[in-house]
Amino acid sequence: MADLSKVGTEYSPITWEVERGKIRELAKAIGDPNPIYLDKDAAVAEGYEDTPVSPTFLTVPMMWADKMPAVINDLKINFMMVLHGEEEYEYYQPIYPGDVITGTPKVTKMEEKTSKSGSKMDMVTMEVVYTNQRGEKVAKARSLLVERK
Amino acid sequence: MTQVIYYEDVNVGDAMPELVKGPLQKLQHVMYAGASGDFNPLHTDDDFAKAVGMKDGVIAHGMLIMGIVGQAITGWIPRKDLKKFGVRFAGMTKPGNTISVTGSVTDKRVDDGKNIIVCEVAAKDENGDVKVTGTFEAALPSKA
Repeated sequence: MADLSKVGTEYSPITWEVERGKIRELAKAIGDPNPIYLDKDAAVAEGYEDTPVSPTFLTVPMMWADKMPAVINDLKINFMMVLHGEEEYEYYQPIYPGDVITGTPKVTKMEEKTSKSGSKMDMVTMEVVYTNQRGEKVAKARSLLVERK
Repeated sequence: MTQVIYYEDVNVGDAMPELVKGPLQKLQHVMYAGASGDFNPLHTDDDFAKAVGMKDGVIAHGMLIMGIVGQAITGWIPRKDLKKFGVRFAGMTKPGNTISVTGSVTDKRVDDGKNIIVCEVAAKDENGDVKVTGTFEAALPSKA
């Protein structure tokens, strides 16, 4: 059961160097043939500085930095009972290979809800605002985790 | 060929091009686990998945389906114009499902000098079961 007193908790920052190969790998795994994610020349021809990150790329630092499991543990959420309810991104500036992005995960909302069938769930909202190496705000990620009880 | 979509050419009610992918394969879960770093065995290990109540075995990562919706969006609207993209995960996707992503324009507005379109999107399987619903906003160039 999630520890609802943890609302407002900020975790140590994630710092992540964005690599062209990882951008390509994620696009390949999704099966997205859009050449802007796969090939620098194609991206430049479309008006980008380099291969931009695809819309869901920010899941990569969150998962590979082992941040999500650590947060789930700290919030005392049962890993076996957690579902990903929602995910939302806001994009402020492009993110390109070589950028070093930093984001501080913050628990912005925790509440218990009762479903129509009467079962109880804890709803946990986490936000991460990412800045780049120039201090520019580049994106925001918001995740809603649902723990069934 | 440069992909450009002008604000004036998009109208409320317009459909975005449909994207159909599938049938999805378990192998794609393995690729997605490695690429994303999400190694929850629910997505790659049938024995584990069955042990936690998935009688048919592994299910796809929700974020893989969101990624496929993202593919549909930036196959239509240039990546650089996409400003906001959010989804709600509504159902589980299994190997063998074929996913169709559809969407339409629900609103247009000029906001702080930006030409914003708002769209709704959904991903469904071959039976019409909804996997993901969501919305996105893009700031498009103007012909003016």
